[in-house]
Amino acid sequence: MQRGALPAGVAEGGVDARRAWAAPWAPAALGLALRRQALGLATLAALLVVWEAASRTRLLNPQLVPPVTDILATFGQLWTDRPFPQQTFVTQTVATLWRMAVGYVAAAVLGIGLGLLMGRSRAVADLFWPLIEFLRPTPPVALIPVLLLLVGIGDQMRLIIIAFAALFPILLNTIDGVRGVHPTLLDVARTFRFRGLALLRRVIFPAALPQIVAGLRISLAIALIVALVSEMVGATNGLGYFILQQQRGLRIRETYAAMVQLALVGLVLNALFVAVERRVLAWHRQSTGQA
Amino acid sequence: MRPTRPLGYALIGALLAGWEAAARAGAVNPAFLPPPSQIAGAWWALWASGQLAEHLAATLGSWAQGYALAAVLGVSLGLLMGLVPAIRAMLSTIVELLRPMPSVAIIPVAIVLFGLGDPMKRFVVAYAALWPILLNTLYGVLAVDPLLLDTARTFRLGAVRSALRVTLPAASPYIATGLRISTSIALILVITAELVASRSGLGYAVRAAEQASRVPEVYAGVLTIAVVGFLLNALFVALEGRVLAWHRGVTAREAV
Repeated sequence: MQRGALPAGVAEGGVDARRAWAAPWAPAALGLALRRQALGLATLAALLVVWEAASRTRLLNPQLVPPVTDILATFGQLWTDRPFPQQTFVTQTVATLWRMAVGYVAAAVLGIGLGLLMGRSRAVADLFWPLIEFLRPTPPVALIPVLLLLVGIGDQMRLIIIAFAALFPILLNTIDGVRGVHPTLLDVARTFRFRGLALLRRVIFPAALPQIVAGLRISLAIALIVALVSEMVGATNGLGYFILQQQRGLRIRETYAAMVQLALVGLVLNALFVAVERRVLAWHRQSTGQA
Repeated sequence: MRPTRPLGYALIGALLAGWEAAARAGAVNPAFLPPPSQIAGAWWALWASGQLAEHLAATLGSWAQGYALAAVLGVSLGLLMGLVPAIRAMLSTIVELLRPMPSVAIIPVAIVLFGLGDPMKRFVVAYAALWPILLNTLYGVLAVDPLLLDTARTFRLGAVRSALRVTLPAASPYIATGLRISTSIALILVITAELVASRSGLGYAVRAAEQASRVPEVYAGVLTIAVVGFLLNALFVALEGRVLAWHRGVTAREAV
C-alpha cells in the first residue's frame, strides 16, 4: 500500500469502525447482525416500552406524544385503507421519490461531467472555482423563494432546487477524484496511447470512481432533504407536503407516522445505495486488496 | 492551489454586468429578476431600517444555540460510545435507525412539541447537527492509535484523564470534520424551519417578502443568507486551521 495521509493505527481503526457499523440489513449477514445487535435492539425496545407507558399513563401528554402502538397503527392504516388513494403513503412516496430521482440524475450527469472537465483542465477549474466557492456554502433551501419568483410554484422549481443542492458534493468529489488519479496510471495509459475520450472513459473515470461514488452518496441524502423541503412549500403532493399538512391539521398521530415513513424511506434508500456501491466498486476492492 | 483566479472573478463580474444590462434593457422581466443595483439598494434600505439586523440576529441565535447543544451532546456521546463498548452496543441500533432519516422530517414533530417559536428552531438545529458530530467523534475515538493509549497506560493515566488528555486530542481532526459538516447542516435546518413555520429570522423574512411580491427584498434576503453561509464556512476553516495546527505539525511527515 502507498503511504497515505493516515498513520497505520488510524487506517486500522477506520476499517474496524466500518465493520462495526456495517449495514445490518445485508441479507447474508442478517442473523449474525441480529445477534451482534441484540443489546442495541433490547435498548430500543426498552425505550419504546417506556414511551408507551409514559404516554398511556399520561406522564407524557398523549396529545403531543401519542403512544407508540397508536403511531404504528396509524402508520399501518396510512399504507393501506385510507378512503382516498392520494392520501396513502404509496402515492406520496412515489411522488417524492420521482422528483428526487429526476433532480438527482440531472445533478449526477452535470456534476460528473463538469467535474471531469475541471479536474483535467486548470483553465476550466480556475474559471468556475470562485463562483462555486461562493455558491456552495449557500443553504440551497434559501433559493426556493427566488425560484418561486423565477419559475413559479410548479415542479420545475423543485427539480431545479434538488439538482442544485445535489450538484456540489458530486462535482467536488469528482474533481478531487480526477486530480487524485495516480500519475503512474496516467503514464501507463500514455504508453498505451490512450488519449482524449478513451483516456477519460477507460482510465480516469474508473480510477476516480470510488470518490465519485462517495459524492453520489452524500448527494443522495441531500437530494431527499431538499425534495422534502421543496414539497413543504406550495406542493400538492409528496411526503414533505403530506407531513406538514398532518401537522397543520393537528393530526398528531399521522404526523408521527409520516416521520416514521420518512425514516423508512431514508433507511431503504441508503441500503439500496450501499448494495449498488458494493457491486459497482467490487473490482476496486479486489484490485486494492480490501476484503 | 493558486491563491488568485482572476479569470474566475472576471466571470462573476461579467455575469453580474450581463444581468444588470439584461434587466435594464428589459430582456428579462425586472418584476421577477430586478437588476443587481436595485437589489443592492433594497439590501441597504433593509439594513438601514434595522429589520435585516433583527432577522439576522434571530437566525444566528437559533443557529448558535442549537449548534452548541449538538456539539456538546455529540462529542460527549461519541466519546462515551467510542470508549465503552457496552454503551456503543446499546445505542448503535437507535443511531443506525435515526441517522438515515432526512432531518427535516423532524420539523413538523418539533412544531407539535414546541410550537412555532425559537425553542422549536433550536431543537431542530440541534437534532440535525448532532449526527455528523456524534458519528465523526465515534470514528475518531475508534481510530486512535493504540500505541498512544498504551503509552498513556504506561504512565498510569486514569481512564478519565486518558480520555480527555489523549483520546480527545487524538480524535480532534475527526471531530473537527463533524463540526464543519454540521455548520452548514445547522444553517440549512434553521432556514428551512423559518421558511416553513416561523415568525422571525432570515428564512421567514425572505418568504414573507416573496408572498408580498417585494421582489428586490427577496433577493436581498437570499443574498444575506448566502453571505452568512459563506462567512460561517470561512470562519470555521480559519478556526480549524488554527486549532489543529499542532496536528498538521505532528503528522506532517505522514502527509508528504
